[in-house]
Amino acid sequence: MFKAIYNWIDERLDITPMWRDIADHEVPEHVNPAHHFSAFVYCFGGLTFFFTVIQILSGMFLTMYYVPDIQNAYYSVDYLQHQVAFGGIVRGLHHWGASLVIVMMFLHALRVFFTGSYKHPREMNWVVGMLLFFVMLGLGFTGYLLPWDNKAYFATKVGIEIASTIPWIGDDIKMLLQGGDTPGAVTLARFFAIHVFFLPGALLTLLAVHFYMIRKQGISGPL
Amino acid sequence: MEKGHDTKEKIVYVGDSRIRKRDRSANVPQDYSSYPGKTEAFVPNFLLKEWMVGVVVLVGFLTLTIAEPAPLGYPADPLNTNFIPMPDWYFLFLYQLLKMPYTSGDYVLLGTIAIPGIAFGAMLLAPWLDRGPERRFYRRPIASSLMIVSLVACTYLTWEAWTHYQEELEKNGIIPEHHERRMMAEEAVKQGKPRPVPGKDTLPAIVAADDPAFTNIIQAQCISCHGTELEGGVGPALRGIGDRMGKEEIAEIITNGRGGMPAYANILTAEEIDQVAEWLAKQKEEAAG
Amino acid sequence: MDHDQQQESAHAPARRREMTRRQFLSYTLGGAGAFMVGGTILPMIRFAIDPLLAEKQQGEFVKVIEASKVTSEPQPVEFEVFTVDGWHESKRKMRAFVARGDDGRIYALSPVCKHLGCTVDWATHDPNEFFCPCHGARYTRDGEVLAVARGPLDEYEVREENGWVYLGSLKPNSRV
Repeated sequence: MFKAIYNWIDERLDITPMWRDIADHEVPEHVNPAHHFSAFVYCFGGLTFFFTVIQILSGMFLTMYYVPDIQNAYYSVDYLQHQVAFGGIVRGLHHWGASLVIVMMFLHALRVFFTGSYKHPREMNWVVGMLLFFVMLGLGFTGYLLPWDNKAYFATKVGIEIASTIPWIGDDIKMLLQGGDTPGAVTLARFFAIHVFFLPGALLTLLAVHFYMIRKQGISGPL
Repeated sequence: MEKGHDTKEKIVYVGDSRIRKRDRSANVPQDYSSYPGKTEAFVPNFLLKEWMVGVVVLVGFLTLTIAEPAPLGYPADPLNTNFIPMPDWYFLFLYQLLKMPYTSGDYVLLGTIAIPGIAFGAMLLAPWLDRGPERRFYRRPIASSLMIVSLVACTYLTWEAWTHYQEELEKNGIIPEHHERRMMAEEAVKQGKPRPVPGKDTLPAIVAADDPAFTNIIQAQCISCHGTELEGGVGPALRGIGDRMGKEEIAEIITNGRGGMPAYANILTAEEIDQVAEWLAKQKEEAAG
Repeated sequence: MDHDQQQESAHAPARRREMTRRQFLSYTLGGAGAFMVGGTILPMIRFAIDPLLAEKQQGEFVKVIEASKVTSEPQPVEFEVFTVDGWHESKRKMRAFVARGDDGRIYALSPVCKHLGCTVDWATHDPNEFFCPCHGARYTRDGEVLAVARGPLDEYEVREENGWVYLGSLKPNSRV
């Protein structure tokens, strides 16, 4: 049954080579923790991706209850965390996952740096990786405004003030982020849009490029 | 498909762009089979090992989320001064950097733009700054030591920010909001009351609002800080205070002051203080109905 | 793989060949994958379907009208019910048509049309019928459907106390 469907699609789209390429490529010994335990440092990239997937999923589910509105945001977060079954876990996954994704990404970047894997011919992938790092930090920054508690409010205010010190364009950036004279309703709506649509869009695009380049160039050889 | 075409025939793709050119340039890495040691297929052999790691990490992660609820403070209040704003830990190094003498005041651009710009710019451009073919970190001392120095600096700044925050909390006797909130919720649940939601809890009504202690003394002396309806302002709400304090304790606070509240020993007579304390001690949730 | 297989055949007893090494690895891989997917997705699914499984709120009885003012002619009464809708608490405005039936008992009908949820009104079309402006559904005085809709109008729980009528939660029509 499944085989028939698969064959029907494969005949038309020739999909076998695509997954064969991913499934059958040989993985060298020096990145395999089963051969050298120290090779666990090569796991951090995969774990970053794992946590990214958890972030995307838990974020999607959280927006089922969350509203980006200054009157209700706090209460919707309180409600989803305490009144909805497993709300504490889903919000916990998103909150702690945000920290862990940064930890894993940091360790992954350090591994790449200290093994010199960013060198020729993988310079572009390092640059894409650093852009991913910035997008992740941006996601963290826009994310913690959303519950609209005191920490959210003041940390965001400080963050926006930092951006406003940029010479010449600082005030415009501040206005763009804040959408008004003080952080308020418009700011929250904007940060929500950036956190949920703009940055994840950039993140997924960059991830696709990152993974494509890994497959194309392969893992860097042993030291 | 054209008519009469044999449908059983395997379709042949012409001009398949996925067929790789054989003449790879030197940029493309060697096939892994040319590396020393054993290789194994990605699926299922290697992926299984990765997923084993994933399972262990997931179990640890789920344990963390169950053991430690995600923090949530009190609703945002721009006038709140009883709160020490702290970013998440991964921004602490930047937060601390901006407190340094040469990165604040007139030099703030150094802290907000120049230093982070140089650090992150150097990271972004690392492949072009460190161009030699050597990959081992101990054979490229400049790159490695710069990275290690940056790491140490970030760790130090983060640690410094955190200890300073802890000291400030202790000095000002502040409990972080999310802790206080959680403790209050646990307390309320233990007492069988519904879980309080900050900003949504309703204060009990004022008991005996026509008492002269309220109409004459309290409305003259107290409401500028405690609110016209005693709902709280600079000072705490006084409605329902009788549930938390007895008459003696209230009288003692009025007479000698406490925290930001001044002593009223010279402003009110002992008799007036006694009347006020007696009236406040009557402010109980039960009596308010 | 070749290397592994050689090793395998060297060590494994020749007779037992129910499962190949590759199959075993695939099953383990599937199990590990299922665990990871389940561990993350199941809490989220439960979180998402919570409204389905939440206990229904029992509506409180609300005082609406003096019993002596209720006639056999259905009359609209408006009342407010305190509703908790997630994190949003409000007084929701409701309407009911209250009338005294031929048996002398007071009943109250919901004005929500059983066809597609518009709001019906009394005697706007025909003097003795509820009429729905959306698709022309019609109901009798007792809420029995005459046209278009599939069932009778819902009823409120009614309680009479000290000369006042109290309305509670909705229930299926018990009069027709």
